Amino acid sequence: MQLKHIDRGGALVAIAVMAGLPLVFDSRYLMGVLTVAAIYGIWSVSWDFMSGLTGRENFGHSLFIGVGAYAAGFLNTAWGVNAWWSLPAGMLAAVVFALIMGIPTLRLKGPYFALAMLSGAVIMQRLMLIFWEYTGGEEGINGIEPLIRSPLHFYWFVLGMLVLTVVLLGGLARSHWGLILKAIRGDEATCQAAGLNVTYYKIASLVISAAFAGMGGALYAHYQLQVSPQLFAVVTSITIITMVYVGGMSTIYGPIGGALLLTLMTELLRNFGEWRLMVYSVALILILFFLPQGLVAPTWQKIRHRLAGGQP
Amino acid sequence: MFGSSLSKRSFTQLAVALSAAAVFLPAQAQQGPIKIGLSTAVQLQVGRDTQEAAKIAIDEINAKGGVMGRKLSFVVADETENPEVGINAIKKLTADEKVDVIVGGYTSGVTLAQLPHISSAKTIYLGVGAASPAITAKVKQDYDNYKYVFRVGPINAVHQARGLVDWISGHLIGELGLKRIAIIGENAKWVQDLVPVLRKGAVDVGADVKMVEFFDTSTSDFSPLLSKIKNSDAQFLVVVLSHASSDVFAKQWYDARFPIPYGGIDVKSQDGDFFDRVGGKSLSEVAVNFAVRAPLTPKTVPFFDEFKKRTGRVPVYTAFGTYDAVHAYAQAAERAKSFDTNAVVGELEKTSMAGIAGWLEFDETHDVKAGGKYMNLLFAQWQAKGDRVVLWPKSLRSGSMIMPPWLAK
Amino acid sequence: MLEILIFGAVTSAIYAMLAVGFTLIFGVARILNLAHGSFYALGAYGAYVLTTIFKVPLLLAAPLVVLGVALFGMVVERVLIRPMRKSQLAVLMISLAVSLVVEQALFLIFGSEYRNVPSFIDQKYVIGGVDVAGQRLLTLLVAVVSIGGLYLFIQRTRLGSAILAISQDPEAAQYMGIPSDRIFGVVMAMSAGLAALAGIMAGPFLSVQPSMHLLPIVKAFAIVVVGGLGSIPGSIVAALMLGYAETLVAYGISTSWTEIVSVAATLLMLVLRPAGFFGKRAAF
Repeated sequence: MQLKHIDRGGALVAIAVMAGLPLVFDSRYLMGVLTVAAIYGIWSVSWDFMSGLTGRENFGHSLFIGVGAYAAGFLNTAWGVNAWWSLPAGMLAAVVFALIMGIPTLRLKGPYFALAMLSGAVIMQRLMLIFWEYTGGEEGINGIEPLIRSPLHFYWFVLGMLVLTVVLLGGLARSHWGLILKAIRGDEATCQAAGLNVTYYKIASLVISAAFAGMGGALYAHYQLQVSPQLFAVVTSITIITMVYVGGMSTIYGPIGGALLLTLMTELLRNFGEWRLMVYSVALILILFFLPQGLVAPTWQKIRHRLAGGQP
Repeated sequence: MFGSSLSKRSFTQLAVALSAAAVFLPAQAQQGPIKIGLSTAVQLQVGRDTQEAAKIAIDEINAKGGVMGRKLSFVVADETENPEVGINAIKKLTADEKVDVIVGGYTSGVTLAQLPHISSAKTIYLGVGAASPAITAKVKQDYDNYKYVFRVGPINAVHQARGLVDWISGHLIGELGLKRIAIIGENAKWVQDLVPVLRKGAVDVGADVKMVEFFDTSTSDFSPLLSKIKNSDAQFLVVVLSHASSDVFAKQWYDARFPIPYGGIDVKSQDGDFFDRVGGKSLSEVAVNFAVRAPLTPKTVPFFDEFKKRTGRVPVYTAFGTYDAVHAYAQAAERAKSFDTNAVVGELEKTSMAGIAGWLEFDETHDVKAGGKYMNLLFAQWQAKGDRVVLWPKSLRSGSMIMPPWLAK
Repeated sequence: MLEILIFGAVTSAIYAMLAVGFTLIFGVARILNLAHGSFYALGAYGAYVLTTIFKVPLLLAAPLVVLGVALFGMVVERVLIRPMRKSQLAVLMISLAVSLVVEQALFLIFGSEYRNVPSFIDQKYVIGGVDVAGQRLLTLLVAVVSIGGLYLFIQRTRLGSAILAISQDPEAAQYMGIPSDRIFGVVMAMSAGLAALAGIMAGPFLSVQPSMHLLPIVKAFAIVVVGGLGSIPGSIVAALMLGYAETLVAYGISTSWTEIVSVAATLLMLVLRPAGFFGKRAAF
């Protein structure tokens, strides 16, 4: 599907609105919520790139997020390194783990790959707790410096990184990369027979997905100013998968809508804070049953259909 | 089909946008009531009692006309035991609810994670539940940014360690002749701060420390640890517990009819219903309490009675801190004749008043003073039918110590 | 040494009860049910509710809870899982979602504090110098009896033969007129009931809190992968292996490392020999 002017226009409007909202409402709280939504957007888009396109759902995405965040945490506190190194460090750490986990497990069938990745995240979470003398255990690492002191500028920076993520990954998805990955989803054996180095593409897509997730993790660490083993939890992975399902699998831009929608929805429910995870879980079930194509991406498709006067 | 649903969708989107906008519009400020933000673990007893104690203090102050004519009110945010959630609670209270002061706390790790966010919001924070000295250490290290932080209760981990040593020396060794002890603690931050001081102090007063071990807060099977303790030849097991492990530990200790009695700091054991919750299996455990219904200060007994009247139960330690914190804040504001944060901070530093557990004053790091007329550790034992009998200090002793039933032969 | 033998046996027994049910539903219906841990949790909470709030005696409460959870399992299978059966991944997702909903419901109703499930036996026994709580020994006994009973049921009854038939060759079974769908429901009920029983037995001495479903499902999955998906003997052997491995690690190193044992075992098995030791079907 080619990128039309209408898509570009829609994207620009969306970016402008997102950037402008905190200025319009002058609410620090809203800015915080949007920053977190944007980071979840980065995580969701990165997940969609690999799992959405290849159909190999990764239940352990939180591993890359956590590793990126802890890398940032260690660098910044224990080794006193300038905060800006966190981003490449987070990406590097995530890439390393993607290779460690991906190479042995990518040949497994769907559910087993999912659960193998899940195991990786669980092990990492446990290790953080076991070596509590170095990692701070349950309570994690705190005292991380903010990346950019002004919350507004930091928000714009995160937004910028989100845009960068979507542009890069979306571009890859629309190129021959995307075609190959989708072909692998369709019928891996045929691809292999046709001479494609399937393994290379699977591992590469996992690595790319991980890199952006790790970068998002580093951003999160510099926002919360602390990291804890909760980042590795299954719940994090499931939340992201839910966001992608709501947004529309394999669309790359859909997950951003999913991230925004779910984050805002839970804020609207914040007086019933304990209900948040319940809402997510029920939402996931409903989506799986009734809206397997998601909500955001199909909606946009309809809108652009209307705006383009019925042209596909 | 999509013609009508597109407009339906647009309408829904508009409605969502409007309600979202309404939700995020800045809260009303200025001449309303003073808002106290309670950040606590709402699900647990410490959280429930924080709220109740705040209500009692606020009602008392409002009955006398409030503070400089303005009434007090409060809002609650759940910080759970998770640093992430804790940070969000602070953000909700400061950026969204725009509270004038925050009172609360329980898990030290959560408080430590919240500190930078409290500092950047320039809001006074009165801690009532977390014991790690690291929290108030920041006040000295970086006064300008962290002067807003005070600890009203409990006494910090180092003071608590000294309190434990005092009990070991006077009661365990002095009166019971039990010299060989084993020490176990959860690997939570405040315990890590406490145990080294405890160990050294115990050795200094003549105890023979047979083993020291940390365990995971979420441990569910203590058999290996209990086995290790038994093999260490200890006569008494000193524990430092604050989270969920207390319940499981008590039950497993009892079920195995473990041959070594235990006691020490067990925060969950302070809950009035702990004994029943574990089916009576904490019988003979000696646990620290920060106050009991005795005239420690003129305010102690009336507070316990009022709390009992309102809730039907005995308060846990966060209640004492919360009650004292609200009164301390109100009095500081009165003395400063203003609610300006810097002015109130200055007056809070000069606080000198009767608290629930002892006389309340802060040291130069805004940490509550301990010992003597200030706050102390009290040791109470669970006895038959769930009665709590104070064993230490001697001046407050209300009964004699019992041994676990299977050892009392 | 004797301690490790005894406690390892108790641990293995609980794991076996969980793993057998998990592998059964997979072997028969190809369902990887991540909500299996929830049945365990509901068993423990059910016992708590009936005994503490409704004051039902434990001996009566236990079978009631087992039946209740078995029914719940049937309903979940019929309403939520069966429509998704085309895609194993979808089943995985939805069962995971169900487990989260159950966890949150338990959290909202009961709060995060640990609950107290009463024991059947409140005495301590001394075996060769080792203090063992009576409840733990009873758990071991119940596990042996219930798994043994299940095995006999499958080998000796007509319904059992039908189950075996479906797990060996679903199409042929259908040609023979065996009502697969109804049997899936029954198998799910048995699987859920067994897990609930484990929860009732282990609740008194392990922790009862809303997220208690997580570790059991991780371990059940580990055991089933190691033993081979779909093989009951495989699950029992693997349960023993894992139970003892964990106990050895707990006594030798520390309890913090025990979770890693199962998860690492799963990972290694999946990577090295996805069919497990006795498995019929490979993971790729």
